[in-house]
Amino acid sequence: MTLTEDAPAAAPASSAPPTAPAPAAVGLASVLGSGDHKVVGRLWLVASLVHLVLAGAAALWVAALRVDSEALATDAPAFFAQAFTFRSIGGAFLFLLPLTIGIATLVVPLQVGAPTLAFPRAAAAAAWMYLLGGGLVIGAYAIDGGPYGDDTDGVRLFIVAFLLVVVALAVAWICIGTTVIALRTAGLSLKRTPLFAWSSLVAAAVWVVTLPVLGAMVLIAYIDLRYGGAGGFISGGGAATLYSRISWSFSQPAVYAFAIPVLGFLGSVVPVFSSTRHQMHRVAMGLIGAFAALSAGAWTVPAFGPEPTPWLYELPWVAVSIAILLPLLGLFGLWALTLRQGQLRLASPLLFGASAGLMLLVGVAAGALQAIEPIKTLTDGGGSSLYGTTVTTSVASYVVLAAAIAAIGGVVFWAPKIVGRQLPEVGARLVALLLLAGTVLWSFPDIISGLLGQPGIPGVPALDNQGPIEVLNGVSAFGGVVLAVAVVAFVALLIRATRSAELPGDDPWSGHTLEWATSSPPPLGNFASLPAITSEAPLYDARHQAEEANA
Amino acid sequence: MAATATTTAVSPLVAAPPPGARRPRVLFTGAAFGAAASALVVLSTLAVYLQVRDDFLASGATTLPDDVLLPLTPGGMGMLTLSMSVVTVMWAVWALRRDDRTHAYLAIGITLLLGVAFVNSTIYLYQQLSLPLTGSATGGLLYVVTGTHLVMVAVGLIFVMVMGFQSLGGQLTGRDAEGMSAAALYWYVTVAVYTVIYYGIYITK
Repeated sequence: MTLTEDAPAAAPASSAPPTAPAPAAVGLASVLGSGDHKVVGRLWLVASLVHLVLAGAAALWVAALRVDSEALATDAPAFFAQAFTFRSIGGAFLFLLPLTIGIATLVVPLQVGAPTLAFPRAAAAAAWMYLLGGGLVIGAYAIDGGPYGDDTDGVRLFIVAFLLVVVALAVAWICIGTTVIALRTAGLSLKRTPLFAWSSLVAAAVWVVTLPVLGAMVLIAYIDLRYGGAGGFISGGGAATLYSRISWSFSQPAVYAFAIPVLGFLGSVVPVFSSTRHQMHRVAMGLIGAFAALSAGAWTVPAFGPEPTPWLYELPWVAVSIAILLPLLGLFGLWALTLRQGQLRLASPLLFGASAGLMLLVGVAAGALQAIEPIKTLTDGGGSSLYGTTVTTSVASYVVLAAAIAAIGGVVFWAPKIVGRQLPEVGARLVALLLLAGTVLWSFPDIISGLLGQPGIPGVPALDNQGPIEVLNGVSAFGGVVLAVAVVAFVALLIRATRSAELPGDDPWSGHTLEWATSSPPPLGNFASLPAITSEAPLYDARHQAEEANA
Repeated sequence: MAATATTTAVSPLVAAPPPGARRPRVLFTGAAFGAAASALVVLSTLAVYLQVRDDFLASGATTLPDDVLLPLTPGGMGMLTLSMSVVTVMWAVWALRRDDRTHAYLAIGITLLLGVAFVNSTIYLYQQLSLPLTGSATGGLLYVVTGTHLVMVAVGLIFVMVMGFQSLGGQLTGRDAEGMSAAALYWYVTVAVYTVIYYGIYITK
């Protein structure tokens, strides 16, 4: 190695002799070899929808088993527990979070005026790692692995596969967060960041805090099972507690982190369909940040040993569970103000946003209710608190489904940028209403049955589900069918839209932010030119300046 | 769809001036996120180790098998080695920012050497311990904590090495030494995490 005193001159890119551009890859090669954030984002979207089919099937199976209490008690308790864990883990980490990441990967660089996502190769690698990990998780369940599985190798395979998924999700969030911080275009200060990009940044921060803790817990569970047998060598560990090493991440308050992008989505669609500027944009940023900070739930990891949840019904947990309502209510106030200031245009994205917001509010309110210890179940003489009943799973269902509604709404809203086409408006509205109805039917009966004492966590002996609880479980199962119909309708609309010859134009919604300043779908590099940015809504500004000039 | 599809009379893009160039801090920001994530993995495992150790001590049991002693010397040497590497990596950034190539290469080389020495001291510790992974819960967790930190050290070393090669190739200069700053940030966090491990595992054993 030769040392030089002076800095070797790096060859400037522009001095290279012009060469003919490489032929564009087509077909599978264009997906496999691409670091373009649109391609990677679509990969996340498609893969998450495939996982939804499997997690949704498991969820419907669980719902059906809960209706037949006799079969649940005698024939299928082990299968119920495995299906239950797959619907939760698959729904949260194989479907919802990847879907959110997919939309953020597609939209965030466009919203901040960036030509690309930060670390595009890492983002692509994360997407492929997620696909591999997701496939292995499903494979592990298929060979009787996963939490409550009987096959030891299958359980270990599940842990390794799930670790892959966790690493992939963390890398993807780092790419998204870095894009918002470091790749915003000139003039777009952090204070002017569009709310969806801002919510993606704070979500990235929360997940970068949460996912490593989840990964560490799963890693310890692997070592415990690998070297300590099924019982584990750590007190309070072993196969029996494997699910609890994961389930804290979709329990209160960590589950609220899944819903952070819901707030960003609403913050994006409400001003557009009110035809006015978002009221108190910076206050909204602060409230979304507060919601995110309160949803950082890594401190609720269950401990090993005799007392796994020392935080339960202690002051911090109760305070966070109730305080998180405040930023949410503040945001709803701002959106009501924005709608009042402008002229309402009822369109499908707003319908998705309103449905998601409403369901999130109900979920967070139910969580606050659950955190009040004097509220007990009605069936055992008022001895048991609500935590651990189906109220707990209902809170998670409301929040996760709210996030899913917002994510599907995001696909509808940004479809011109995602697939270069627009979804049929009537069909999209119908999907939004079906999702709303399905969420209510799926989740609300669980609150009532939880008050009646129905346990919501696998491994807990099931109640005799006869009578009102069986009826409520039947209603919940019907809600699952409605949700399944809504998802099938959405996928059909999406496929129909991609085959349509009708082009949507660059800005079919009269959007406010930079993603609408480029073509649909955007070209490689995203922007040919950008408007001057003097506020958080540059296209709204430009449109009004043009209208004033015309007047 | 038709009800909401509108077109703008005047394109907002026509009169807009092109955006000015700004210096991205992409690698530095990504390294900050990555360092935070890596640190949390190691610190989470350490938290479990400390909790399990406390449970053992509270029950009156010993944390490690009777014939196993946790020596302080290799851990202390590791702490000393990493502390020195903080100075050398700082030196590397300082020198690169001043286009002092000789000092930069020297500092990067010494940092890599110290990092390898730390890995060596940890492996020596493992040999001295002679503790099977299945020996006890705290023993297993000890390997998890120090093992995940070793991975963090290895990532930091590779990061510093790659930035060293980039500076050799002239890609990092006094005007743009962001890559080395990013590697240094990751390395500082790695050392800070070891400081917590050193106190939690070796000092308060």
